[in-house]
Amino acid sequence: MDIWNEVGWLLPQLILILFVLLLPAMDYLFRNDKRPLAWITLVPLLTLSALVVSWLFFGEGSFAASKVPYMQVDAFSGLFMLVFLVVGIVVVLSSPEFIKKDKNQGEYYALILLAITGMTVVAEAVDLIALFVGLEIAGISSFALAGFRKSEKRSSEAATKYFIIGGFSSALTLFSISLFYGVAGTTNIAAIAGELAAPSAWITESQPMLLLALVLLIAGLGFKIAMVPFHMWAPDVYEGAPTPISGLLAAASKKMGFAALFRVFLIGVLAVKTDWEVVIGAMAIITMTVGNLIAVSQTNIKRMLAYSSVAQAGYIMIALPVGTEYALAGGMFHILTHAFMKSGAFMVVAAMGVVMIGEKLDDFKGLNKRSPFLAFAMTIFLLSLAGIPPLAGFASKFVLFSSAVYTSLDPGPSWLIWLAIAGVLNSALSLYYYARVIKYMYMDKGPEETVKVPPMTAAAIVFALAMVFIIGLFPDQFVSVCQDAAGAFPGLPFGGPE
Amino acid sequence: MFEQIPIISIIILLPLMGAVVTFLLGKYGSYAKYVALAFSAAALVLSLLLVFDYQLDPDPTATGYHEGNGWFDYQFYESYTWIESLGITYIVGLDGISLPLFVLTTLLSTLSILFSWDTKTRPKAYFGLMLILEVGVLGVFTTLDYFVFYVFWEVVLIPMYFMIGIWGGPNKDYAAIKFFIYTHVASLALLVGIMAMYFQVYVETGATSFAMEDVWRAGHTDFARTFQIAIFGATFFGFGVKLPMVPFHTWLPDAHVEAPTAGSVLLAGLLLKMGGYGIIRISIPTLPEGAEALQLLMAAIALASILYGALVCLAQRDLKKMVAYSSISHMGFVLLGYATLTSVGATAGVFQMFAHGLVTAVLFMMCGVVQHHCGTRIIQSLGGLTKKMPTASAMMTMGFLASLGLPGLVSFAAEFMVLASMFSTWGLWLFLPILSVAITAAYYLWALQRSMFGPLTTKIDTSKVHDISWYEGVPVAVLLVLIAIFGVFPAVIFDYINPAVDIALRLFGGG
Repeated sequence: MDIWNEVGWLLPQLILILFVLLLPAMDYLFRNDKRPLAWITLVPLLTLSALVVSWLFFGEGSFAASKVPYMQVDAFSGLFMLVFLVVGIVVVLSSPEFIKKDKNQGEYYALILLAITGMTVVAEAVDLIALFVGLEIAGISSFALAGFRKSEKRSSEAATKYFIIGGFSSALTLFSISLFYGVAGTTNIAAIAGELAAPSAWITESQPMLLLALVLLIAGLGFKIAMVPFHMWAPDVYEGAPTPISGLLAAASKKMGFAALFRVFLIGVLAVKTDWEVVIGAMAIITMTVGNLIAVSQTNIKRMLAYSSVAQAGYIMIALPVGTEYALAGGMFHILTHAFMKSGAFMVVAAMGVVMIGEKLDDFKGLNKRSPFLAFAMTIFLLSLAGIPPLAGFASKFVLFSSAVYTSLDPGPSWLIWLAIAGVLNSALSLYYYARVIKYMYMDKGPEETVKVPPMTAAAIVFALAMVFIIGLFPDQFVSVCQDAAGAFPGLPFGGPE
Repeated sequence: MFEQIPIISIIILLPLMGAVVTFLLGKYGSYAKYVALAFSAAALVLSLLLVFDYQLDPDPTATGYHEGNGWFDYQFYESYTWIESLGITYIVGLDGISLPLFVLTTLLSTLSILFSWDTKTRPKAYFGLMLILEVGVLGVFTTLDYFVFYVFWEVVLIPMYFMIGIWGGPNKDYAAIKFFIYTHVASLALLVGIMAMYFQVYVETGATSFAMEDVWRAGHTDFARTFQIAIFGATFFGFGVKLPMVPFHTWLPDAHVEAPTAGSVLLAGLLLKMGGYGIIRISIPTLPEGAEALQLLMAAIALASILYGALVCLAQRDLKKMVAYSSISHMGFVLLGYATLTSVGATAGVFQMFAHGLVTAVLFMMCGVVQHHCGTRIIQSLGGLTKKMPTASAMMTMGFLASLGLPGLVSFAAEFMVLASMFSTWGLWLFLPILSVAITAAYYLWALQRSMFGPLTTKIDTSKVHDISWYEGVPVAVLLVLIAIFGVFPAVIFDYINPAVDIALRLFGGG
């Protein structure tokens, strides 16, 4: 089986692509009840995530090593792949009821799988060109998904905005890649790292070009992760897109941006860390603060969650300037937990959307009376986002923030500790707007009629809820998997306890 | 008797299970009170059995006994690794400081549930939250790991917020959010202190551990003086707001006035004790140099709380608000006892917490009875209630007398010992707290005279006022009996508290 030797490492993407091609065709098989499409979409997602879990968590059946120099299959890409897959599962589970009256459902699911395919390519890319290809695959599928309800004005508006911004950020990224090629003479991330570590005369000379490349890359990828000041699109798009898709964008698409940022900054340009660490550190603090401050004044739940995810991006960015293995593990751990709690929160909103409850914060008033399950789930997701122990969000924030502290303890005092302080203060601030929703749900009076949660959406929420509890109560295993993943990066100091 | 079973965890889990059952009752919500009473009573019975199993002179080889060269002295000790990578361990144990408060918690929780027997609004949520509150407080008093301590500490916040916010009076939204913000900010200061100690231990010893024991060991020998002062300040602020201390007390009267009666009982009877417990369990023994440096600040704050709380009581029109302010004054005695940093003073401080828990529960219950039966608590609108509710008036009188420190009742022993230790430390500065004793007598007797005695009021319709109901009378009676017993035999409790306090204060020469 020579062919398997050659393409075996590409198996996850191949499986996903196979279903991408199958699904639009299958749309014609199910004329009346389109729900089986969701089940079919789940097949590759569940299979692959089972494989990744058994590989990462139980060390059984590792994935084949890449045969091409521009992609690499390692624990880092595996962990990101897992995040994208589980978010995909949650999103697909809660979709059928949400879009049951819409046309083109086959394409909808196909696009979700295609977006996830692109994300996995980004996670595995070790070459800037492959990275760009992955970003585009995921990006273009997401534009189409955001505009899925094309007859709805705000969905189209969201898609248009997303498309224009996305195109702009792609252009910036591409321009930056070209500059990198000009500086280092290669687009391979590891090779760039090698060139920068032992700079030739040319590289020393072209320092301004390198800085410009860095700035453009920060901006280009900054759009993807909704870093302030490149975050403006996020609330509009999350608000306008179909709610399950908002969950996909917030919990998976943004994380793809982080996969790219981590690879490029913590391998590629690690040698010139002093050039970018302060900028990114300051951006992290600004991002989390602005995100939280604006979230306080939102009246639409999806916009509030959008700004909260801007703030969460700020937290995750801490991993970059700290730049230790422990910090990277913390960043990835937070990405993992954020995938569950943010997609879970969006799915609660989606479940309410199915029964035609609005998306205003006021619509949450008295939710406990109408559906104790949704109110409880939302409470847990929000508390976890705020970082309340013993929920998942607490454990990951703990690792992430403490990595900044350890770095300023071990080599000696440094400004990095302010990242941790800013993170903690922001978490306290964020509790205010999360708690307000909880107060609305439990303490205020609203309409009385009960809400029936569709079973598949309920399954998605229960799954996310269970993970938030499991990770929160027993984080050890997850921390060690994240540390393994961070270990895939050469040349990072450990920077954690022990 | 309990050597072989994790008795403390079982007692903590009982109310938690009760809460789950209560929430799941569905349409049988009216049975919530029976479920809640059953589970909390079970916890109470077990905790009472535990008292008799507690060894005053423990056998070091017994199972569940944990000591480290005179540094620790715990019984019913349990330890399970929880999150290894972060150094978080679930450790619980009891010593002489926590035992009285532990039993006070199960007692007051059970009595409050009984007292709320006629709650009709959302009974499932009400009784469920009370049980969760009990879980949180029990956890705070038993856990020996900073992190788990903080988790329980925060767990307490949520049910109390909801109790005020859902079942509270007309101004409940304001009171609930004020309570939440004050205590949450204080919690953050506490968290900063805990995290700073955690990282400092890592720097000094290279170990990541939240276990109090490990932090203590490192703290005594390795923490620098400035670090100790800073962290003592942070944790003291965190605990002091809960205590509450002047000038961070303003959340308390609002919370009490708006909270339902049982909520007030638990708030004053247990939640305030968490602050007092934290100072003697965490701040003082872990950061002795910090405590020494800030000793006078502690004393000044304590005296300010004692006097200010008492003076403000004189001006109150609302009976419940008066009792709330009197709590500030009485909890000031706890802090004053600690501030002497002597064995006698700190022992008396812990005893004062126990005494205040019993007495203030009676007072808030009686305020609830008055509100319930007369429809108002405004002192000026009341009067001559002895004629309409003789039993209630008698109980209220006894509660007031206990609270003003009548000899033979429980508060007297505690406050007298605090004053004695204050005298031996600071001499004639004693006149300041003594002053408050007179003021306290004044506001209680004056309030009693205006509300209970004299001619029957005409400002409210008293035709339907009847005497105390059974479910209100029984808890109050139980508490009054205990107040009298421990007033006559305070030594019974001192024998438990004192050895543990000596261990906490061993770095100050044992007092």
